[in-house]
Amino acid sequence: MTVDQMSTVADRPRAAATAGRTRSAERPRSTMTARRHRAFYMFVAPWIVGFLLLTIVPMAYALWLSFTTFDGISPNWHYVGLGNYRELMNDSVTWDSLGRAGLFALVSVPLSIIAGLGLAVLVNRPLRARGLFRTLLYLPAVVPPVGAGIAFKNLFDQNAGATNGVLTFFGFDAVGWLADPYARYVLIMTVLWGAGNIMIISLAGLQDVPRELHEAARIDGASSWRTFRSITVPLLSPVLLFQTVTGVIASVQTIMPMLLAPIATTGGLTTVPQSNYTYMIHVFSQYFALGRYGYASALLWVLFVLILIATGLIFRFTSGVVFYNVDPEAKK
Amino acid sequence: MRPHAGAPMSRRRFLSLSAAGAAGGAAALSGCAMQVSSGVGGGSGETVTMMVKADDITPDLVQQALKDTGIAIKRVDFDITKLIAMLTSGNPPDLVRGVGAVDAAYFAAREVMEDLDPYFARSQVLRRDDLDPVNDLWRFDGTTQGKGPRYGMAKDFSQDSMYWYNTSAFDKQGVSYPAELEPTTYEEWLDTAQRLVQRSKGQTSLFGGTYNGLLKATLMSTLTASAGGSLFNDDFSRVDFTTPEARKALGWYIEYCRLKVGASPILPDPNGWDGPTYQAGRLAMCNSGYWMGGMIATDPKLAEVSRLAPTPVFEGGPRVSACQAGTGLWMPKKAPHKDAAWRIFEWYFGEAPAKARASGGWGIPTLKSLRPLMPAKAEHQKRVLKVQENELKHFSVVAFSPYTTGDSFEALFNQVAPAAMKGEISVDTLAGRLNSVLNEQLKRGKEQVG
Repeated sequence: MTVDQMSTVADRPRAAATAGRTRSAERPRSTMTARRHRAFYMFVAPWIVGFLLLTIVPMAYALWLSFTTFDGISPNWHYVGLGNYRELMNDSVTWDSLGRAGLFALVSVPLSIIAGLGLAVLVNRPLRARGLFRTLLYLPAVVPPVGAGIAFKNLFDQNAGATNGVLTFFGFDAVGWLADPYARYVLIMTVLWGAGNIMIISLAGLQDVPRELHEAARIDGASSWRTFRSITVPLLSPVLLFQTVTGVIASVQTIMPMLLAPIATTGGLTTVPQSNYTYMIHVFSQYFALGRYGYASALLWVLFVLILIATGLIFRFTSGVVFYNVDPEAKK
Repeated sequence: MRPHAGAPMSRRRFLSLSAAGAAGGAAALSGCAMQVSSGVGGGSGETVTMMVKADDITPDLVQQALKDTGIAIKRVDFDITKLIAMLTSGNPPDLVRGVGAVDAAYFAAREVMEDLDPYFARSQVLRRDDLDPVNDLWRFDGTTQGKGPRYGMAKDFSQDSMYWYNTSAFDKQGVSYPAELEPTTYEEWLDTAQRLVQRSKGQTSLFGGTYNGLLKATLMSTLTASAGGSLFNDDFSRVDFTTPEARKALGWYIEYCRLKVGASPILPDPNGWDGPTYQAGRLAMCNSGYWMGGMIATDPKLAEVSRLAPTPVFEGGPRVSACQAGTGLWMPKKAPHKDAAWRIFEWYFGEAPAKARASGGWGIPTLKSLRPLMPAKAEHQKRVLKVQENELKHFSVVAFSPYTTGDSFEALFNQVAPAAMKGEISVDTLAGRLNSVLNEQLKRGKEQVG
C-alpha cells in the first residue's frame, strides 16, 4: 500500500460523512433553487405572455400580410411573395420618406441629447430654487404629444401665431412655419421641447459621477471644460449611448408630423407637408389612406430590420468610447 | 392544396387563418357577444350597434330611440380601421356611417353592404317616391354609382360646390355681390377672391375665398363635370386629367392654390377646415353648401351679413351642382340584427331625428316630404332658402369610382400636386403624374374587386 493509497483509505470515512452531509444539504438547496426558478418564471410570465401576444404574434401576422395584396376588405387578394418588398425597393416615395426620417434622426437626436445634457448640467449646479427649475424644465416632457402638437400649431400659425407676431413686430415678414419648407424646423423644435426627458436621465447619470474625481481634477489644475470632457462625459457615456439608441428608434418612428398637420388625425395625414413626410407617415398613409395593408406591412418589416442594423452599428462604433464603471459582462 | 404566389385565396380562408393568429383572441371575444336577430316585430327589445360619430346620434337620441322603437342603441365611435376589423372578423356593426359620394360604390363593390331595396319596398316610413334624388348616391349597379340597388341613405345633404359670402367684406373692398340666382364663372370667382384678399407683411388678414370641395376626389370630379367632361372612363377604372375638361378643372384649382387667396394644401387652414375662419370674419367667400347655414345661424350678426351663392360654372360649361357627401348610414351584409337595424334606420331617416335635422338648418332633408320643415322664418333664412330651392333644379349625381376610396385619392393627389401649386412643375406635367399614380391605385382596386 503506497502512501497515496493510505491517505485515500484514511480519508474514506471522512469523505463518506461529508458526502452524506452534502446530500442531505442539497435536497433543501435544490428545493430552494426550484422555488426560485418557479418564482422567476411566474414573475416574468405576464411579460412573456404579453410579449408573445402583443409583439411576436402581430409581427408574425404583419410578416405574413407583407407577402399579400390584402387591403382589409376586398375579396380577391393574392399572395405576391416578395412582390411588396421588390416594389418598395423601386418606390421613390418610400426612399425619400426614409431619407427624411434618417435626416430627422441625424439632426434631432444629437440636438436633443446636447440640449438635455446641457440642461442637466445647469440644474445639477447648486442653484437657488433648483427643484423648481428642474420641475419647470421637465414639465414640457409631461405634456402629451397631442397637446404639444396643438400648442406648436398655435404658436407657429402664419396669421395668428405668436412667433410671427414677434417677427412682424420687429419689421420682418411673417413665415409660413407649418408649410413647406419650414415645417421641418418646427418638427425639430417639438423634439427639443421634450428634452426634459433626456435631462432627467442625464441628471441621474451626473449625480452618479464620483465627486472625488472632480476634486482630484481641480487639484491637478484642470479647467471646468477639461473636467467635463475628460471625466463627466466618459462616465456618462453609457447613459448617452442609451439615449442615442432609444432616440434614434423613437425619431424614425415619430408620428409628430401628423400631430402638426392641419388635421391631426389619421384621416388628415394627407395634409402633412412634404418636408415632414417621413417614413412612418408613409406607412400610415399606405395603411389607412390607401388601404394597402400588405405593402405597409412590408414597409414596417423593412423599418424593423433597418432599426436593428442601425442599433447594431451604433453599438459597434461606440464600443471603444463607452466607459462602463462596472463591467457589464461580469458574472454576479 | 397549398396556395402559391399569385394564387387567389378566398377571404373566408384568409379570415380563418387570421383568426388563428393575431386576430384570434379578438375574434373569439367579439364572437361571444354575437346575437342572432329574431327577425320579427321590427327587432323590439334588441340592441343595435351603430358605428357613427358622436354628433350623429347624441345620448338623448339614444334614449329617444329606446322610447320610440323599443330598441336599444349601442354607439361605437366611427373608425375605419375598427370597421374593417369588425367586418373581417364576421361581427360587423348593424349600421355604419358612410359618405355616400365616395363610400357607397367602394363598399358595395366589395359586397359587404346589404341591398336595402326589399326593406324600402315594404317600408311605410321611407317610401321610394318620397326619397330625394340625392339618395341615389347610395345606389350602385356593379359599375356605376347612382343606378341599381340602394345600399344606404343620406341623413341630409347640401350641394357642396356652392359658396357662402360675407357682404361686409365685399362692401369694405367695394366689390359688387355675386348674382343671387345666376352662377358666376369660376374665372370670375377667382378674380373676385383676388380683389378681396387683404395681405400685409406676409400675413393675410382677410382671405378672399376658399374652394377645396369636400374631398379632392369629389372636387376634381365635380369640377370636371362643370367643364363638361368626366374625370373617369366609362367603367371607372381609370382617370384622365389630360382631357380638355379635366385639364381645365385641374388648371383652375392649381391656379387657385398658387394665388393663395384661401386655404389649400400649401396654405393649410390651422383649424383643419375653413368654417371657423369664416365665422371669425376673416374669409370673404367660403366653399360650403346649405349645411353651413346651421353654424352661421348661431351668430345673428354673421347670419345678417352672410349670403349663399350658386355653384359657379366654367365659361360655356353646363350648370352642375352636385352633392359631394351625402353622409348617411348603411347596413353590413352580415349585420347580426337586421330587422332591428332597419327599424332604427327608418326612425333615424324618417321620424323624430329626421324632422329635428330638417328644421335645424344643418342640411337639406333627404325626404321630399320634410322640405317644408326647413327654417324660413327670419329674413336671412328666407333669402338662403330661395337660393337653395333654385339650386336644387341643377342637382345631379356625379359618380365616383368603386375602385378607390376618397382618402386614397386625397393622399395621392396631395402627394403629387403641391409641386405644381408651388410652380415647380407645369399643370400638364402634374396631369400626367396624377394619371400615373391614380391609375395605378385604380388598377389595384379593380384587381381586388375582381
